[in-house]
Amino acid sequence: MKRIVIAGSAVAVGLVTLLPAGFALLRPVTVLPRIELAPGYDLVDQNGRRFTSEDARGTITLYSFAYTGCPMPCDAVFDVMRGVQAALDTVDTGGLAVRLVTIGIDHRRDSPGALTELAARWGANPALWTFASGDSVRLLRTVRNGFGVFYEGMPDSTYRFSPAFILVDGVGIVRGDYRIGVPRAEDLVDGIARIAREARAEGVAHVMYEAAHFFACYSE
Amino acid sequence: MTWRTVLGLLVAAVIVTIGSAVWLLGRRPVQSFGSETTVLSPPMPAADFALESADGPVMLRDLRGRHVVLFFGYTFCPDVCPLTMQRLDRALDLLGEDADRVQVVMITVDPERDTASRMRQYVSQFDPSFLGLSGTEEAVHRVATDYGIFHAKVEREDGGPYTMDHTATVLVLTDTGALVLLWPHGMEAETMAADLHTLLGG
Repeated sequence: MKRIVIAGSAVAVGLVTLLPAGFALLRPVTVLPRIELAPGYDLVDQNGRRFTSEDARGTITLYSFAYTGCPMPCDAVFDVMRGVQAALDTVDTGGLAVRLVTIGIDHRRDSPGALTELAARWGANPALWTFASGDSVRLLRTVRNGFGVFYEGMPDSTYRFSPAFILVDGVGIVRGDYRIGVPRAEDLVDGIARIAREARAEGVAHVMYEAAHFFACYSE
Repeated sequence: MTWRTVLGLLVAAVIVTIGSAVWLLGRRPVQSFGSETTVLSPPMPAADFALESADGPVMLRDLRGRHVVLFFGYTFCPDVCPLTMQRLDRALDLLGEDADRVQVVMITVDPERDTASRMRQYVSQFDPSFLGLSGTEEAVHRVATDYGIFHAKVEREDGGPYTMDHTATVLVLTDTGALVLLWPHGMEAETMAADLHTLLGG
């Protein structure tokens, strides 16, 4: 009897140890981490209409940052965004809407008219890709304080900033923060697809996704 | 012990591990929350804030030890805010004695008109235990942004007092100050109470 109790205890301890270790090592499901809440904001889009964080709620949203007349590194940013836009046709989001948003950080030049021209130049599909900006206070609160993207006006009217791409899920939680170099469009599309798969998961699949969050099984 | 036996045991251990994980997680309270509730598991660290109540400064860390239900609104709000506050009051009634472990906090998105004393007067209409907070425009903006709350002044065409557009999501924080639940606008009091009951380990 004593042996059975000892063996049973050993199995129980082993299982408790194996549960997190096994799941974390085997990683049957990987997810994008829930990083933080995306900021609430109130901007104006390229059509002169109010564009707020509530407009993005319920959609998977990829944010980028640039400004009119920006020489570098905006071309690389727009190239990536255009690549994501083109690749979205190939992604099965199960009916979940995806939105691309570029926030213009220059409150003096990024007027709705200028943003419209910028959108046209880069082949933005207006139904998919929104350009928005606002006054200096709103931009500071949204971009620098909210998304944590540093930018600074220079004496020659350019801006010093590092490219950043931020992926937000439909609930308003930041799920991807890409700001070391310029990411590949396919990596961002993969992130969008992962969020979509997770959002659609039900039953046991939903439990597996929650387990992946619980055991920090994050995709590379 | 042959390699086949070792492999068999390994496969069995893996199957048992995954099966147990699924079974255990299936029993986690995650499954007991309302269908519209967003559950953050593990909970996310929530930003601290420093605002003003009628009795003086309040920081989020001052509320540690109680689960915090956080709502952003304003006292001139015609519909969304009173409805939400009524439902939160009802939810606490349904919780019974456990309500003592929950602190409802309403932060104004209209600091221009909502002073700390006005906030207290407003929230007390629903429940005297509710805490109303205000602050400088910058402080309110900062905390609203941190919690993903959009808000903007809307001037009325008829020249009447302005209104505020704002996110009506309700956020629930654990007693250690971590964000754990998000309730969309329109959540019923019964669901709120059930979620809180689950969160409190009931």
